[in-house]
Amino acid sequence: MTDGGLILKDVGFSLQGKPILSGISLDLVERRIGIAGRNGSGKTTLLRLMAGLVAPTSGMVRLDGVDPAADRKAALARVGILFQNPDHQIIFPTVAEELAFGLRQMGRAESDVRATVTRLLADEGRAHWAAAPVHTLSQGQRQYLCLLAVLAMGPATILLDEPFAALDLPTQIRLRRRLEELSQRLIVVSHDPRVLAEMERVVWIEGGRIRRDGTAPDVLEEFSAEMARLGEADADADLAG
Amino acid sequence: MERNVTLIALFAALIAVLGLVPKIDLISGVPITAQSLGVMLCGTVLGARRGALAVLLFVLLVALGLPLLAGGRGGLGVFAGPSVGYIVGFPVAAFVTGWITENWKADIGLAAFGGAILGGIVVLYALGIPGMALILGKSLPEAMVLAAPFLAGDIIKAGLAGLITSGIAKVRPGIVLSRG
Amino acid sequence: MLTLTSPVETAFHRVPAGRKLLALAAATLVIIPLTDLRWIAAASLMVVLLYLSQGREFARSGLRMLWPLWPVLLVLGVWHLATGEVRGGIGIALRMLAAIALANLVTMTTRLDDLIAVVERVARPLARIGLQPRTLAVAIALVIRFTPVLLLNAGQLMEAWRARSARRVGWPVVVPLALTALDDAERLAEALRARGGL
Repeated sequence: MTDGGLILKDVGFSLQGKPILSGISLDLVERRIGIAGRNGSGKTTLLRLMAGLVAPTSGMVRLDGVDPAADRKAALARVGILFQNPDHQIIFPTVAEELAFGLRQMGRAESDVRATVTRLLADEGRAHWAAAPVHTLSQGQRQYLCLLAVLAMGPATILLDEPFAALDLPTQIRLRRRLEELSQRLIVVSHDPRVLAEMERVVWIEGGRIRRDGTAPDVLEEFSAEMARLGEADADADLAG
Repeated sequence: MERNVTLIALFAALIAVLGLVPKIDLISGVPITAQSLGVMLCGTVLGARRGALAVLLFVLLVALGLPLLAGGRGGLGVFAGPSVGYIVGFPVAAFVTGWITENWKADIGLAAFGGAILGGIVVLYALGIPGMALILGKSLPEAMVLAAPFLAGDIIKAGLAGLITSGIAKVRPGIVLSRG
Repeated sequence: MLTLTSPVETAFHRVPAGRKLLALAAATLVIIPLTDLRWIAAASLMVVLLYLSQGREFARSGLRMLWPLWPVLLVLGVWHLATGEVRGGIGIALRMLAAIALANLVTMTTRLDDLIAVVERVARPLARIGLQPRTLAVAIALVIRFTPVLLLNAGQLMEAWRARSARRVGWPVVVPLALTALDDAERLAEALRARGGL
């Protein structure tokens, strides 16, 4: 597993003329990175830029020297992304098919794909999941499946968008435990400071720009204070339109 | 009652969405618009009556000026154009598709495929081709020539309708009501 | 959801919807059977003048609405050049464009609410076979409300595909999309029942 850094240089992203992100410059080499921000701050867009799912309107993104939006094949081998809601990202009806999908798309031989899927499930103590229909899995199990589908492709960096938001407490704890064991670089987006408390570095995105960038305790203390202030200050009645 | 209305409305929305998203690969490497697949699915998944009503609602909304046809087209203009026969034929096609899916006592995927072929192709073309002939000032055989290039893609869509309906039925077995 | 009604106010916006629809139906019935190129040209000229009477900007947007027809015109062009019936081809193309442009004119100058009101009036007799006008109005509102929601969902599924494949999105995403439509319909039905039903 190569460990090339994730570099963003003066990245901007606009949608139909509306700026979502501007002036984002980051050099991410740490193993546990958090991205904090309110809903609508642009943090999810930042994640999608890092994954190469969208291209920046200005500036450049490089992962391990590769432009993830331009070179999709190289990007898929280097970065995986886990979205918030498993029901909006699982495509296939059985566990084995869902896990095999990315591997098949990479062009691996069918026997190789099957072997990898079997080994992956066995390593996770879930060999009996192979033929299970996805709709029989609980929500936590489905989120776990999404994580396994990402791990199957062997990326060195995993991006996670609010991974705990839709899960109940025991499932959150289980997922957190599993994530702690991962040797890959994890970049976690969350609006909840408690989720990011153990990160090596936290970047706070506000209004599409970097508000603070530093250690978890420093940034999160300021972040929490600001969120509390906003919650007390107004009733959020203004419309965006 | 409410369930029928919401199913009809949501599937009308589904037809719109399948026309509004970027073209998808229906078979490897060949991107096709999936909208008529949505019409077939209304029949195979909702059955004849609800399927036809869903498609009728969709066509009504297009007439009302919503840009729901593939490519963001809509309005009354499409009813004066060469595809008028197809658009007006969509609800009929969905009805026939649904009727066969409900009544053909075979595996649901196969019944759906059969329904999609008979409804989504045979009946739809029977209505679409005369419409094209009228607007484009061509004879029926000439209009059939113009319609021919789309046949292969539509047959593939019918096959996919079978696969997709089969996939849906495995997760929601009760959905097409009059089937066991 | 945005409709195809033109934001540019015209005199036609003020004409009642029902009247415009009847006029359109009558005009279309006159135009479609035309075969003489002189009559077709005259009708086309009248349509052009109708558009221009409301300003160049409006006429330009009318032209833009005709743009998606270029493949049809191309096929017609190739066909009629190959068969040597150039005059006939021009006549057919103009006739078609005139009829479509006229229909587009009504769409561009009539608000959605006014059209829905016409539909409700026309659908009143259907109450006898069980279709309440209110149900139709709710159904229309639901489609308008949920198309963007389902579109967002489709986008998420397509993104989940692209996150693991460099190839174009394939047909399997239609299965979870349809399942979501089914689930949304169930939940929505419950919500409607909880608010008194239809």
